[in-house]
Amino acid sequence: MKLKSNLLGAIVLTVLFGGIALTTALNLWTTETAKVPVKFETGEAAGEYNPDDIRGSYAFGDISELFDIPLEYLATAFGLPADVDAAAFQNKELEEIYGALEEAGTEIGNSSVKLFVALYKGLPYEIDDEIYLPAPAVKILKAQGSLSAEQIAYVDAHSVDLGLAEAAPAGVEQAEAAPQPAATEEHVPEAGQVTGQTTFGDLLAWGLAQETIEEILGGPMPASGTLVKDHVSSLGKPFSEARTQLQAALDAAAK
Amino acid sequence: MKAKKHNKIWLRPAIQLFFFALIALIAINHTLAEEGGGIAFLSSASLHALCPFGGVVTIYQYATTGTFVQKIHESSFILMILGFILAVLFGPVFCGWVCPLGTVQEWTSKLGKKLFKRRFNRFVPRKVDAVLRYLRYGVLAWVLYMTAVTGRLIFADVDPYFALFNFWSSEVAVAGLVVLGVTLVGSLFVERPWCKYTCPYGAVLGVTNLFRVFKIRRNEPTCIACDKCSNRCPMNIPVSQQLVVRDHQCISCLECTSEAICPVPATVDFVTGGK
Repeated sequence: MKLKSNLLGAIVLTVLFGGIALTTALNLWTTETAKVPVKFETGEAAGEYNPDDIRGSYAFGDISELFDIPLEYLATAFGLPADVDAAAFQNKELEEIYGALEEAGTEIGNSSVKLFVALYKGLPYEIDDEIYLPAPAVKILKAQGSLSAEQIAYVDAHSVDLGLAEAAPAGVEQAEAAPQPAATEEHVPEAGQVTGQTTFGDLLAWGLAQETIEEILGGPMPASGTLVKDHVSSLGKPFSEARTQLQAALDAAAK
Repeated sequence: MKAKKHNKIWLRPAIQLFFFALIALIAINHTLAEEGGGIAFLSSASLHALCPFGGVVTIYQYATTGTFVQKIHESSFILMILGFILAVLFGPVFCGWVCPLGTVQEWTSKLGKKLFKRRFNRFVPRKVDAVLRYLRYGVLAWVLYMTAVTGRLIFADVDPYFALFNFWSSEVAVAGLVVLGVTLVGSLFVERPWCKYTCPYGAVLGVTNLFRVFKIRRNEPTCIACDKCSNRCPMNIPVSQQLVVRDHQCISCLECTSEAICPVPATVDFVTGGK
């Protein structure tokens, strides 16, 4: 059987677009992850969205709706310029506009948004790394009046002056200027402490059996170089819960 | 056998232009959508979601954990399967008819042909070229290994396809832009240099040339040994010296066939059967 170019071209188009149409009809064709974080399953916050599952692709508008935080608070907290559409501004863009801070070791990024949302809403959040907040964000949080003494100490110690106008939005009282972080030292995770930078290889090296890890994950362990946090997120589970369970298993193994 | 005037296959460049424009528009729409705008009836998917090679690099993680590598979605997996179906039937037809990076290299090469005439596509010494042709399998092995170990889309940082349609975005790594630049400059001297020497997806699809259902077959009794098929082949395959083309580099462009450059009817065809 001989095939001419016209027929080959038609077959190529039919297979590609027919395949896409068919898988779309079967609800299999997905080009993005739904921007809805997982919810807490247990504890006082059960049923609430978990800020730990906020992704870099979430826009401030998404977060405002999901967590019921006024959009202008988010824009002010993270020092967005007036000409930026805050509703469409994605968390990952913070790392672009504050790239110099990353080099200085005081990165403002998606983790900062997670922490801000958690503290603003009073939701549980495991701080697994040094997370910095812009000074306006700290002011807004302190003005809420709901932070514990420990939390106030943390945000004060991790406040970063953006060098921008720090006008708080209407309804937020001005707090005293937060101090700059002290010397910017590179964060080195402590051995045996599960953090966002911990890989499965680290867990194994610290003496945790693969069976125990898989039992906690509820499935097979990926490649040893994979970050635990990335893998847990890809499973649609909150990292904070997995971290707690893994840390407990590590502590038990160390005894 | 009466020789015919050679024809040009018009549909392939038309389809190539279509896919180039489609991917370019979707990439632009993706940027607009991230800024709160965009064209409603056009997809705003990320390039990662529309790249079949994304499906290939996530196979290991999907098989072992049931999850996709970051930034890869179901669509990449589906495109990978569709690409494999086409390749088993027709060889790497995705490379020759669809891939926008291949298309851009062909466009750039048109300038190279005008500049260097007959020297074009003959700059690389044959022995060196023969060895370099297998480099893309090394690239493939490196990409698969690194992606499996890290669970991250390692290749995106050096991917010229991603750089081509995202050069305005901060998501593109400098290395990706450099590789794209080298590829385009290289296309002035060599046809499809990225495809020949480096493309890991081409390496995967190229294997199907060994067993594809439809294959390029030369009818020796009617062949006049003019070598036009070999000279026209963008991948420098010596078609005139083979009865059936099983070269792992063939991209099923059909430029060597009697429908295009071969002057003798029914002498080089894309057919089933043939040993």
